[in-house]
Amino acid sequence: MIQVLNSLPMYIICGLIILFVAAVCIIFMIRAYRAGKSIGMDEKVLKRAVTSSVTFSILPSVGILLGVIALSGSLGTPWPWLRLSVIGALHYETQVAQGAAEQVGLSSLSAAQMTPSAFTTIALLMSICIMWGMILSVLFNKAYLKRLGSGKKKDGTGAGEAADTVKDKKKQSFGDAAMIAMFIGLVSAYIGSYIGGFVSGKGRFTFRGDLTPIIVAAVAAAVMAVFTYLSEKKHMVWLESFSIAGSMLIGMLAAILFG
Amino acid sequence: MERSKQDQFESYNARTHLLGRICSVVTLVLLVGAPFLIGTYLGGMPEMPAVLKGFLAVGIVWTVSSIVEFLVYTPMLGAGGGYLAFITGNLINMKIPCAMNAREIAGTSSGTPENEIISTLSIAASSLVTIVVLAAGVLLLVPLQPLLQSPVLQPAFENVVPALFGAMSYMYYRKNLKLALFPLVFMSVLFILVPSLISQTSIMIIPAGALTIALAYMIWKKHGTILSKDIGR
Repeated sequence: MIQVLNSLPMYIICGLIILFVAAVCIIFMIRAYRAGKSIGMDEKVLKRAVTSSVTFSILPSVGILLGVIALSGSLGTPWPWLRLSVIGALHYETQVAQGAAEQVGLSSLSAAQMTPSAFTTIALLMSICIMWGMILSVLFNKAYLKRLGSGKKKDGTGAGEAADTVKDKKKQSFGDAAMIAMFIGLVSAYIGSYIGGFVSGKGRFTFRGDLTPIIVAAVAAAVMAVFTYLSEKKHMVWLESFSIAGSMLIGMLAAILFG
Repeated sequence: MERSKQDQFESYNARTHLLGRICSVVTLVLLVGAPFLIGTYLGGMPEMPAVLKGFLAVGIVWTVSSIVEFLVYTPMLGAGGGYLAFITGNLINMKIPCAMNAREIAGTSSGTPENEIISTLSIAASSLVTIVVLAAGVLLLVPLQPLLQSPVLQPAFENVVPALFGAMSYMYYRKNLKLALFPLVFMSVLFILVPSLISQTSIMIIPAGALTIALAYMIWKKHGTILSKDIGR
């Protein structure tokens, strides 16, 4: 199955979509550059904006590439390549892929159990779950920016979205807290499932289940702690770009050593 | 700004919205269409009931976070940058800091035409870098494929999810220890007592998330924050 997922037609399908997105970026870039010149902006400033963004993005992009490698073992290379080039984010893709794998009846996200329809189901779910930012942009970007631009009281225009914005403004700080809480709940559910799997996976309270996920999670967390320490206390800020992918890869390595 | 230049910029902006919408819709169609196209090639179509169940389980969380991202980041990114960023993704880990950085270098402020231009240039450049780096990397990966598929490495790839949650647990727990303790213990006990739920962890996210948000609300109401250091545990 993994051979098929890595076959040329898969590369072509995914590559063409990526090519389209690259073309979109180039078009937007040229238009913005020209418009900037025509409203009298200094070309030097425009060029610096581009070069600084290019240099800024190289390291995080390598981090994202590590994500492609992390996912390539179970989903093949082309699909993770597409997903992480277009709207993806590693933590998102992995979770959704895992959730989808559970729904199609795979016990874990692995190439050994993959079937064609399991793969397409996972792929479709990965696409659907993340498209809302784009849909919201299509529907509301213009109205939202216009209202922000006017900077006045937001009454009327775009009923549902207006209500959301008002609510968001009022409870900004709890909104942040709730987002963090949601992720803590999500992480806790998974970590809890590894603990439960070890303790009761092979019969309740037998402690004979799979210990590997717990070890992997613990190693990844420890490596993450080291990365955080280095980037915050030792001011190696560039490390931040690698922290998630790097911790994951080292955690995964632990599975080989201890598994 | 002179009148004519302002008009010019406004027509640029109007076209940005049109172009941004068209490109977003086309990308959407391509992304949602790709699994079906792949399905005809592989000989297996997506199972809709599983997609629906999966969406209810994992999708809801991401839908909420997408709405928040849209509301928070759109004002920072402007029109062109906003459309591009939501097409190309990796917002928190790359696009947002990248655009902020470019903005600082250019010295523009929110909501101005200059800022709109700079942020579009920045997001476009950043996206192109990612595309190029990934394409080059993937090309290099092709000869490594037999190695990546070797049986020795399979345990690693089977544990990509625990690795992710391990890394994320440190990220989220360290600042919110007090809040994290209860859901972690509760979920562990639940899975220990009812091991059959383990295969449905993605659905168990919903009660776990609801529980944690409820707890967070209680802490937040009392202290105005959920950060452990500010509560003084």
